[in-house]
Amino acid sequence: MKAPRFAYEKPQSLDAAIRLLADGGDGAKLIAGGQSLGPILNFRLAQPELLIDIRTLPELRTVRDEGDAVFLGAGTTHAAIEDGRVCDPTRGLLSAVARTIAYRAVRNRGTLGGSLAHADPAADWVNLMALLDAEIVARGPSGERRLHAAAFVRGPLTTDLAADEIITGVSVRKLSGRARWGQYKFNRKPGEFAEAIGGFVHDPELGMARALVGAIGDAPYVVADAMRLDEPAMHDAVSRAGFADGTYEHQIHFAALKRATAQARGA
Amino acid sequence: MTQSARKGVGARLRRKEDERFLRGRGDYVGNIRMVGMLDVAFVRSPVAHARIRAVRKSPGLESVVFTIDDLTGVKPIVANSALKGFKSAPQHVLARDKVRQVGELIAMCVAPSRAEAEDIATQVELDLEELPAVVDMVAAIEPGGPRVHEEWSDNVVLETLVDDDLSTIRANAAIKVQRRIRTARQCMSPMEGRGVVAHYDRRLDQLTVHSAAQMPHINRAGLSECLGIDQGRIRVVAPDVGGGFGYKGILLPEEVCLGWLAMMLGRPVRWLEDRFEQLAANANCREHYYDITGYATADGRLLAIDCEAIVDSGAYSSYPFSACLEAAQVSSILPGPYRMDGYRCRTWSAATNKPPILPYRGVARTGVCFALELVVDAIARAAGKEPYEVRLACLVPPEAMPFVNITKKFFDSGDYPEALRRAVRVLDLPKWRERQKRGEPDGRRVGVGLAIFCEQGAHGTSVYHGWGIPMVPGHEQCTARLSPDGVLELRIGAHSHGQGLETTLAQVAHEILGVDPDNVRLIHGDTALTPYSTGTWGSRCMVMSGGAVATACKEIEKRVRAIAGKLMEVAGDDLVLEAGRVRVAGTDRSMSLAEVAHVWYRAPQLLPADVDPAGLETTAGYKAVRDSGTFSYACHACAVAVDTELGTIEILDYVVVEDGGTLVNPMIVDGQVFGGTAQGIGTALYEEMPFDAQGQPLASTLADYMLPGATEVPTIRIEHIETPSPLSYFGQKGIGEGGAIAPPAAITNAVNDALADLGVEMLESPITPRRLLTALAAARARRGAG
Amino acid sequence: MTLSLSVNGTPVEAQVEPRTSLADALREHLMLTGTNVGCEHGVCGACTVLIDGAPARSCITLAVACDGADVRTIEGLDEDPVATALREAFAAEHALQCGYCTPGMLVTARDIVLRLPDAGEPRVREELAGNLCRCTGYVGIVRAILRVLAERKTAG
Repeated sequence: MKAPRFAYEKPQSLDAAIRLLADGGDGAKLIAGGQSLGPILNFRLAQPELLIDIRTLPELRTVRDEGDAVFLGAGTTHAAIEDGRVCDPTRGLLSAVARTIAYRAVRNRGTLGGSLAHADPAADWVNLMALLDAEIVARGPSGERRLHAAAFVRGPLTTDLAADEIITGVSVRKLSGRARWGQYKFNRKPGEFAEAIGGFVHDPELGMARALVGAIGDAPYVVADAMRLDEPAMHDAVSRAGFADGTYEHQIHFAALKRATAQARGA
Repeated sequence: MTQSARKGVGARLRRKEDERFLRGRGDYVGNIRMVGMLDVAFVRSPVAHARIRAVRKSPGLESVVFTIDDLTGVKPIVANSALKGFKSAPQHVLARDKVRQVGELIAMCVAPSRAEAEDIATQVELDLEELPAVVDMVAAIEPGGPRVHEEWSDNVVLETLVDDDLSTIRANAAIKVQRRIRTARQCMSPMEGRGVVAHYDRRLDQLTVHSAAQMPHINRAGLSECLGIDQGRIRVVAPDVGGGFGYKGILLPEEVCLGWLAMMLGRPVRWLEDRFEQLAANANCREHYYDITGYATADGRLLAIDCEAIVDSGAYSSYPFSACLEAAQVSSILPGPYRMDGYRCRTWSAATNKPPILPYRGVARTGVCFALELVVDAIARAAGKEPYEVRLACLVPPEAMPFVNITKKFFDSGDYPEALRRAVRVLDLPKWRERQKRGEPDGRRVGVGLAIFCEQGAHGTSVYHGWGIPMVPGHEQCTARLSPDGVLELRIGAHSHGQGLETTLAQVAHEILGVDPDNVRLIHGDTALTPYSTGTWGSRCMVMSGGAVATACKEIEKRVRAIAGKLMEVAGDDLVLEAGRVRVAGTDRSMSLAEVAHVWYRAPQLLPADVDPAGLETTAGYKAVRDSGTFSYACHACAVAVDTELGTIEILDYVVVEDGGTLVNPMIVDGQVFGGTAQGIGTALYEEMPFDAQGQPLASTLADYMLPGATEVPTIRIEHIETPSPLSYFGQKGIGEGGAIAPPAAITNAVNDALADLGVEMLESPITPRRLLTALAAARARRGAG
Repeated sequence: MTLSLSVNGTPVEAQVEPRTSLADALREHLMLTGTNVGCEHGVCGACTVLIDGAPARSCITLAVACDGADVRTIEGLDEDPVATALREAFAAEHALQCGYCTPGMLVTARDIVLRLPDAGEPRVREELAGNLCRCTGYVGIVRAILRVLAERKTAG
């Protein structure tokens, strides 16, 4: 289980990284914390010709207040979010979710941007950012784009990102003091990938009521108007997410959604 | 014995081996460094069953890629049983003509690093004609399907039958419960994989194979058979080994390959199994199927068991335990700790296109306990009794000990009913019944489960010779040497890989000689330095190696008395050995063991001329009074909460009441029970290697093949009953495997207890959320239909 | 490539391929074999080391990505006071058997003790989820960590 041969570059600026990525074509791949890519390389499931290490780029480490949102640099580690070392605009939801990602040793190196770019359908940020209607900020040779997180993932390990674009960060709306949220991850063991993720966030001041059926093997399924989400509506959402009533998958996703909603509603 | 209680037999002595492990100084096979050492990677079969049309080496790689055609003179691994009807399945160390499991070795690639060896492996081209795979053991033994070995008439390695006439019982039993029960295939998964470093010593004309092995002397015998060189030209060294559990109790085809390669190249070569190889090629244990019927009286007393059982034995016969040991064991131990009037059991060892079976901690006992104890609970439900009540009615009582059971097993000692009663008491059954009635605030369902078993350990010749496999145990030797400075060296051929033998055997020596355990050095697991042993398996070391060490120390004691007696001018019998000194009884005249040894080795002029020249070194053997084995036993009792929305199970309390006879080191015994129980919890709830219809293993990472972690294993409460075995040196019993035997049964019984009124009864391990929710849905549908 | 980093307080250089993991660089190039490799995909935790003071998986971290970093392995914790207390507690509580998971377990345990001084048993177990042990059933490991946490509280 040793990685295949590849070349390695550690550019000193974001622009240099974008140039390397554009020049490298299909054979070039970005690496940040490497916590998703590392295992894939060791299994030889990815065989890049060139790895471009962007972990320490200062442009990806910035966190800034954007007024009604907070921009979290793509290089922010899960552990930094868990520890509250960066601002959490969701009043604790980001940090609570961060704590459940893999294990501490992985969270110390794994990054927000890396996890989103890898786009595992069961990954926490992929699902949570869709729930929060966050914007993913990407830069390429022709400039910067903002992508809706809910539409960012196209399918398993596939995103809307162009081959020469780099995620620079995520813009997450600030939830108000009246916001309520709930999140339930169903996995067999702490740290393992989710079999189901349910999410619910309601912020009357933002006029936001969204629900999530996540970890569905595909892009997350979001109910954008979830104000009156009762049990029949939850069943309906899970069915629309692709799991027919009566199946095991339907049952666990329904239970996860129900528990997330109950948590948000303080039940 | 009292003067040595603090450090001798019975002491909770801290482990001598901890210091090096706690500082990262353990020396595992992967840590061995040799000048010029090359790394090996194997090309393995990507399919479960195929004819090999060709294996093509890319041009330029001919000298670094080897196939079976290159391995001239190397014989296949043969592990036959002498039992009538056993079908032989010799295993070529690299595949010849056919592959019969995913992961089977096809070619060996060698390079300066493992990464480069893997690069070469990707350039070997396989031309395979895929054949239909035999995947399911139940279908495998039906006539007419594809065959794993074309030269065989079917896929049955061996069929056995124990056949009582049950017709009267069948006709009269008030209760009859029949169940079809399955256990999943598992991968033992010690934290360290297998590994081999081989090199050839030209001066000694000797092949040295460092291997993460539990049974180095057996590996040497097997290497000799396969490589065609005499055993004196082979040395097998098992260094520190990162967990065994049975996974490393085997002659590996990789070992044979590397032995050949080291001799051919004249350079050291290394292969370290990675986790992908382990999961994809070596999920090799536990897969059983039972069609079992229990007969009982109206009040639940067990009358008879009638069972047809299949064990999935995989594609080949592992050396030395063979492809049939486990199924044969099923028929001999299925009656468990119970008395019964009738017993019938038919077993099949089924060949499939899966990895060859190896005995995992508990071997067949885990599956057997699962099948039997689920049926006993079903009988209790049918009789309307508490599960412990029906068990008490048929457990072998203490007054019947020693007891010969229905399959002629000799239960040496113990109080089985007391273990059960105490487990029920410690768990506090009424408390749980009350809580169950009340219901959980979060809607989960509470259940209570029990399982009881007895574990034959350290069994010898009379048990094993009948199976006629390549290894028959019987006796054990120890070489003991009191060094010139008074340090005691002990040499045993078994191997310690977590069991703490470096500590417990020092305690045994202390018990006999009074030598401080800090001044005892255990040398183990090296065929060049230790007496022959069948090695570490079958919960045998504390009984067999412990007995050997005690016997050798007794002999050393005799000689110390003789020498010291001469020096202090008293009779040897007037001396007392304690605290590292030899003292004249009733006086304060004494000399240290070091002084005695000093005189013997370095100042012999002080000794009279007629002193016995045998000296302070001896090899002594040990054989139990009778070799039918010690029978430790335990009752496991647990309470669980079942989440019927998600299908998850939380263990709320877990109690083990265990009888390991005399405990040499209670701390280490507890550690064995804790660790075994954790593995049993893995069997019960998490661990499973599924295969698809083409024989592809479906869990290739530890995220898919789930080992229990710290959040899955509860705090386990242990109580001991200490009934000394009449058969062993100090009364100790083998307990290494016990923890892993009962948890699947106890936990499943608890789940079934929680779900009984919903009409759900789980009969397959592990109980995954998918299995549980599927069963709940099926029961709902049945209730709806009814 | 030439890799320059500090290992256990000493500056070192090694020639490694870009594909070489930190674990292999430590074990095969720097002969520091105390760090064991268990799964090479980041799940088992046997290879956990400290990179710039924080636990990390050395099996899925490229050595070249650690250029300039401060790496500490089990061999570099001989004099560390928390590791010393943990070693004592691990021996007293029988928190190890075969020893293979132990170096990674100690690195994680040390992090728990320093980062979560108020952790109780459930939190300790949760934090241990990324370190698998096949021998002990975790009983002794959990007890040992709780013991050190309690000792440090008493000591203030």
